[in-house]
Amino acid sequence: MKLRRVLALGAVAAIAAVTLTACGNGSNGASSHKGTLNLTTSAEMPGLDTSKVTDNSSLTALSNTQEGIYRIGKNSKPENALATKTTVSKDGLHWTFDLRKNTKWSNGDKVTAKDFVYSWQRTNDPKTASQYAYLFEGVKNATAIQNKKADVKSLGVKADGDYKLDVTLEKPIPYFKLLLGFPIFFPQDQKVVEKYGSQYGMKADKQVYNGPFKVEDWTGTNTKWKWVKNSSYWDKQAVKTNTINWQVVKESNTALNLFNSGKVDRTQLQGSQVANYKNNKNYVYYQGSTSAYLELNEAKVPAFKNQKIRQALSMSLDRKQLVNNVLQDGSKAATGLIPSKLSKNPQTGADFAKDSQVPDVTDHNLSKAKALLKEGEKEAGISDLNFTLLADDTSTAKQNAEFLQSQFEKLPGVKVSLQNVPFKNRLTKSSNGDFDAVITLWGADYNDPYTYSSLFTADNSQNNGKWANEQYDTDIKNSADKDANDKQARYNDLVDAEKTLTKEVGVIPMYWGTASGSGPMLQKSYVKGVIYNSAGVNFNYKNVEVK
Amino acid sequence: MAKYLLKRLFYLLLTLFLIATITFFMMKLLPGTPLSNESKLSHAQIQMIYHTYGLDKPVWQQYLIYLGGMVQGNFGLSFQFDNQPVSYLLATRMPASFQLGVQAMIVGVLLGIIVGGIAAIRRNTWVDGTMTIISILMISIPSFVLAILLQYYLGLKAGAFPVAGWGNFAYTILPTIALAGSPFATTARFIRTEMVDVMSSDYIELAKAKGLTQTGVVYHHALRNSLIPLITLIGPLTVNLMTGSLVVENIFAVPGIGEQFVKSITTNDYPTIMGITMMYSVLLVIVLLITDIVYGIVDPRIRLQGGQS
Repeated sequence: MKLRRVLALGAVAAIAAVTLTACGNGSNGASSHKGTLNLTTSAEMPGLDTSKVTDNSSLTALSNTQEGIYRIGKNSKPENALATKTTVSKDGLHWTFDLRKNTKWSNGDKVTAKDFVYSWQRTNDPKTASQYAYLFEGVKNATAIQNKKADVKSLGVKADGDYKLDVTLEKPIPYFKLLLGFPIFFPQDQKVVEKYGSQYGMKADKQVYNGPFKVEDWTGTNTKWKWVKNSSYWDKQAVKTNTINWQVVKESNTALNLFNSGKVDRTQLQGSQVANYKNNKNYVYYQGSTSAYLELNEAKVPAFKNQKIRQALSMSLDRKQLVNNVLQDGSKAATGLIPSKLSKNPQTGADFAKDSQVPDVTDHNLSKAKALLKEGEKEAGISDLNFTLLADDTSTAKQNAEFLQSQFEKLPGVKVSLQNVPFKNRLTKSSNGDFDAVITLWGADYNDPYTYSSLFTADNSQNNGKWANEQYDTDIKNSADKDANDKQARYNDLVDAEKTLTKEVGVIPMYWGTASGSGPMLQKSYVKGVIYNSAGVNFNYKNVEVK
Repeated sequence: MAKYLLKRLFYLLLTLFLIATITFFMMKLLPGTPLSNESKLSHAQIQMIYHTYGLDKPVWQQYLIYLGGMVQGNFGLSFQFDNQPVSYLLATRMPASFQLGVQAMIVGVLLGIIVGGIAAIRRNTWVDGTMTIISILMISIPSFVLAILLQYYLGLKAGAFPVAGWGNFAYTILPTIALAGSPFATTARFIRTEMVDVMSSDYIELAKAKGLTQTGVVYHHALRNSLIPLITLIGPLTVNLMTGSLVVENIFAVPGIGEQFVKSITTNDYPTIMGITMMYSVLLVIVLLITDIVYGIVDPRIRLQGGQS
């Protein structure tokens, strides 16, 4: 009897303890850690060298701990950061920036126009081997310098005193302001780069910061670090959070458990987890700007040269079923190559994806697809269609490929075999033209349609399928050339190009999805003021607040 | 003995050389480049960057350069960790894996010996049956399943241990248990079989006839003799655990080396692939050598070649 009573008491105590802990996790509005934000990331931060950075963790860190000419604010709007005044010449080729005076690096050095000149030259210097230097294309001599055909000093950037920066372009870059908000275009303190040499940007204290936060406790290879408020930042009174703690968590289930135990304030959800949490009050959806599309190799499979056959394949695809039943992660069914929420009509404010929509082509219509296939096959002089579908070997990519296979094979006489290979292998096969059809994912570098449109001109090295259309090339050329300084005309060029691509099925758009760092998430409701943009560096934490 | 050791050392170096060579050339057959932004770069841009890193040289030249560096202890610079030296990556990531491996080994082997021993003494009773079932369960449940269950029930629901991360000793408990499952089960099965074997041998009969107590017989004669063959098992098992487990480390967000090995291969991070492979190989051949030497010392029946028999 006694033993039983003790056991019962113990059980009650245990249950009470568990319940109490659960209540302590801030299930009500306020947090228990005001001023501190706890976040996870799915990958380590490999390096903070402004010229060499390539990955999401590091880019996010640099854009929140350093600052360039502009900071990208809400709705991808470039806001003055180090610039106080921008003057652009009529032809769009000469830019002059007046810089904020008396801003400082965290080591006390002044931030001057010379830091920009040094930084840009360093990034374009082929010796630096920057993997993002290509973004400078259009700045005077940038491409020539990268190809060792011009001297680094001839780059189109000059310091006029300490606080005036002059930039010369070879051709207008309509999205130049967005680029200037991307960390590759930030200044670098020459003294610091030279002092640390090969150690520069390899540890938290081997870099200097002029932005809202400073990186601390990062050893270069560890999985826990933090950003702390930068007391030498010029706009420090706008920064409301003292510490942002980062922890690398690669398993999404682990991150979810940490979120549920109150240890972290946000977690990214996988497709399989979304169903359980869709109605949770902490559920948020940050739409990414990755476009998934199928490239058809016209150089290898002659049948793909026939537009009706391409249209038939596109129409046989039920994209709604793909996003709702296969992906389940909030991805959107694509109506074109360029994702929604990437850019807007300068006059009407309408979404680019809406403006460029072409009726029918991306709608699921099996009977029309069958009819088109029949006509197409007759024109091409073939009776059946066999091809191999190349895709990555991740579980999501495999499911996508299997789904496409099942959809295409509903068309009579179409046989699709699958080939799933590792990511790097897929890239090699794609660029060598060693495929029939390949599922490609492309993430936007900046919030402008051109980041996609430029890919499918006849001579672009990323145009793996070798689809070519003169009208398309002309539109793209005009947008970058004769209409470059006329916002609306340029926008219309890009809309026309996109319409051509969709109508002719230059690629088969599949879905607009998420990359790491965007998509469905759980975020505690006491986290306020996060600025999210779908392209470039996604998160701006300058004004974030934990209440 | 000295002659034997010299000979073993020579073979050891030869083995390492062969591993380095084969790995290097197989690795160069991997498609793709080590550049993380590869998908956005054109062929010409990749070639420019390759030139800077010396990756445009013929493969045999790269091989000689690499071998030369390795002999001097220079494993090169990692690509995924923007030019961080591979030796630094190993030095900062090994300790966590090493600690978990050693802890799991100690817990697993000690428990295994106890459980296996008890099962052998009480063989063919319900005790033996239960112990057998437990060890079969532990060997058939993959460590990641165990890890997920432990994390969810003991970490999240009960709140008894940290859910994931790396800090004080408390953070190591759940991953240690998850990793200890396999060495525990292996040891328990092994010890039981060995002990049953030894218990029926003549000298045990003699010891019993001398009038020794049951405990004395088991402890001084049966267990000690059963432990000797365990040495061969423990060596490779230790190396395996020390080099880290991809899945368990990922589930508990442990900053170990296990995951880096797989990631270095999928990202074509050549220097890191070589660095981790060589470190693993060096550990393995050294442990095997030590195992052989120790075995010769503890078991007089085994004599090294040229021994004084």
